[in-house]
Amino acid sequence: MDIRFTPEQDAWREEVRDFLDAELPPEKAFDVEFDEDEALWEFSHAFTKKVGAKGWLGLNWPTEYGGLGRPPIDRMIMSEEFEAREAPLSGSIGWGLTAGSLLAGGTEEQKQHWLPKLGRMDLHVAEGLSEPAAGSDLASLTTTAKRDGEHWVISGEKTYTTWGTHADWLFTAARSDLTASRHRGITMFLVPLDLPGVSMSPMLNLGGGRQNHTFLDDVRVPHEYMIGEEGGGWHMIMNAFYGGGIHAGHAYYERAFAAVLEHCKQTRRGDGLLIDDPIVRQQLGQLALIAEQLKMLTYESVSNFNNQKPPSFGGAIGVVVSKEARPRFFELCNRIVGPLCQLQEGRFAPMRGQVEAWYRHSYANHAGGTSQVKRMVLATRGLGLPR
Amino acid sequence: MIDLEFSEQQQLLQHTARNFFAAQCPIAKVRSLETSDLGYSDELWKSMAKLDWVGLSYPTELGGAAGSILDLYVLYAEMGRCLAPTPHLASSVIAGETILRGGSEAQRGRLIPEMSRGDLIVAPALTESDGAYGADAVQLVAQADGENGYRLEGAKILVPYAHVAGQLLVAARTGSGPDGVTLFLIEPGAKGVDVEKLGNIANYPLFAVTFDGVAVSRDAIVGPVGAGWATLEPVLDRASVLQCAEIVGAGEAVLDIAVNYAQQREQFGQPVGKFQAVQYLCSDIAIDLHLTSLLARQAAWRLDAGLPHAREVALAKAQASESAQHMVRQAHEVQAGHGFMMETDLQLYTRRAKHWEFNLGDVHHHLDAAVAAL
Ligand SMILES: Cc1cc2nc3c(=O)[nH]c(=O)nc-3n(C[C@H](O)[C@H](O)[C@H](O)COP(=O)(O)OP(=O)(O)OC[C@H]3O[C@@H](n4cnc5c(N)ncnc54)[C@H](O)[C@@H]3O)c2cc1C
Repeated sequence: MDIRFTPEQDAWREEVRDFLDAELPPEKAFDVEFDEDEALWEFSHAFTKKVGAKGWLGLNWPTEYGGLGRPPIDRMIMSEEFEAREAPLSGSIGWGLTAGSLLAGGTEEQKQHWLPKLGRMDLHVAEGLSEPAAGSDLASLTTTAKRDGEHWVISGEKTYTTWGTHADWLFTAARSDLTASRHRGITMFLVPLDLPGVSMSPMLNLGGGRQNHTFLDDVRVPHEYMIGEEGGGWHMIMNAFYGGGIHAGHAYYERAFAAVLEHCKQTRRGDGLLIDDPIVRQQLGQLALIAEQLKMLTYESVSNFNNQKPPSFGGAIGVVVSKEARPRFFELCNRIVGPLCQLQEGRFAPMRGQVEAWYRHSYANHAGGTSQVKRMVLATRGLGLPR
Repeated sequence: MIDLEFSEQQQLLQHTARNFFAAQCPIAKVRSLETSDLGYSDELWKSMAKLDWVGLSYPTELGGAAGSILDLYVLYAEMGRCLAPTPHLASSVIAGETILRGGSEAQRGRLIPEMSRGDLIVAPALTESDGAYGADAVQLVAQADGENGYRLEGAKILVPYAHVAGQLLVAARTGSGPDGVTLFLIEPGAKGVDVEKLGNIANYPLFAVTFDGVAVSRDAIVGPVGAGWATLEPVLDRASVLQCAEIVGAGEAVLDIAVNYAQQREQFGQPVGKFQAVQYLCSDIAIDLHLTSLLARQAAWRLDAGLPHAREVALAKAQASESAQHMVRQAHEVQAGHGFMMETDLQLYTRRAKHWEFNLGDVHHHLDAAVAAL
């Protein structure tokens, strides 16, 4: 056992910090999930391309696909540093989900073709999996893909498409074989969003960001944009969800914690500083505990990789803990700050209104699937209980 | 005898109020009011006044309907259910009842009838920039200025409805300790008063009011000098219970939203409400709601019965603040992605619940108050 970073890893962290010092002015830091400001997005695109140009988007990928072949821990360290500064890295559906899917189930030719492009952020991909009637039960999706010569004709409706208006491609799943069982007949595609038949309408969210309804109306997609094998979509989605890079989710909470702690050290309520209030101290302790739990779950993923161990409890425990911790963490932040936590802006709003915004953002915890469903995975796959 | 039921008249009021708000304040209207300039509907307010609800608890000789706290409770549960934004808690209850208790004959005669007609809104300005709640938190200075007056210097925040108020009821410090708080009536248009809108999670009409050497005369004082908090405190107890009632009504709506969604939304070939995980979430909401309702009804009844009530009021608001948060969180779990979209009604409740959770004291304040009352 050794829970330390090596000198090489420390040096890598320094390199990442130097890059961020040079390329990310603090006023350009923003949360790409909840801010639609055009100028900031322009910055985010340029910034992400610079990260791509260094090979860091595909840091862990094999070198033959444009990656740097570095171990997952390096990506985790990079992620910690990026999160710590709220670096506006965009395009995670491309270099994260789509690339992860390709690596898990793409053909050699597809990997050669797409991965270098994704690693450079040449294409900005959005995720088109969920449908109005297919949320947790994704395998019930009804978007269809019909083969027509060298094209596929795709029709259906996708929903909750995040970054739909910033992206130029959609990584999507469609039913290519209506006679096959529900898990067998699904095929993945990368669909250019400027093709005839694609349209979107906005779904504004509580966090101040936007998802989209994406309508695919007889969209003719060239066969070479199919990803993986025909009918191999389900297998690919499942493996990509479990096999993606190691994201330092805990660093988001550590950043929030540091800001709240600082607020408590500087802010008086009644006779004393917040930091001296015994109730506030308990609440800060709770925040620190949550952040630490999440950090150890991240580090465990790194350790599992190093030891070639499968993820604990079917890979579900980290997901359940982080999804359930999110609203709780920010409710606690509200209570620490007190009634002023409802303020969004202006000179009376504590921490420039961040506490208020974080709390609204916290209900995005269902993105990617709910904790209830993940708990069942934990219980069945993780604990061996009957399904 | 143990009887937790509302009287027949109260049930009638409940029925009338439910129909009234369903018709006059549907959720689409709540949405549009949130982003309107005023943040509430004067028309709705005047209609409430015509039904005698604005001055429901005021004596009949001053234009009121001599209603009890339990009567108000019924009304508040219905306002909460439909999220009606009204100045009732701020003006009718906190300001109005304080004036009734502490005001001079002249002040009552001048203000209360106008208030119960819905023609005058009085906005209580209690909280200051640190957000603390209680007598100690009143720091805004009222300095004696010659024989006949005072000068006020300082700021109040989270002042509801200050933009449409004809008068502000300001708690200010004229001496030290709990007996050093004095209440003043000040016009928002008076020289040196500045009213500034505060953007907030619920888009609720909340304001910061600053006082820059504002001169007030002695006849603007409500109650004896130094007795401000003693006058205010019993009224804040009543207001806290009504805040609980509003949360109960809203909780019923949140429960309906969650249960209806669980019945209608199908995944894996069945309504999601058939999954035990979702049943647990829905039952959590029902439990929170039910407990809040029981504790709040007890507190309201004790107030009406003139019995000691400090403990019961504090426990009710502690429960209500906790529930307000927990109910919406569980409903978000039920609605998952849908609950995060602005198109769902749930988010309206989520945002308002944050205001209510902290209004008139948060969980910790009230748990502490409950222990102090033991
Ligand atoms: C902010 C945000 C961004 C998103 N971005 C994207 C995107 O870019 N692309 C995309 O394709 N999708 C996206 N999604 C959709 C997301 O993947 C879904 O919200 C998620 O899969 C859950 O589906 P649902 O919301 O339809 O909930 P539902 O599946 O309808 O769930 C409703 C309730 O039923 C419960 N439930 C369902 N099945 C079971 C079961 N078997 N056992 C027990 N309980 C169950 C759930 O836990 C929940 O409580 C996004 C969602 C959010 C919130």
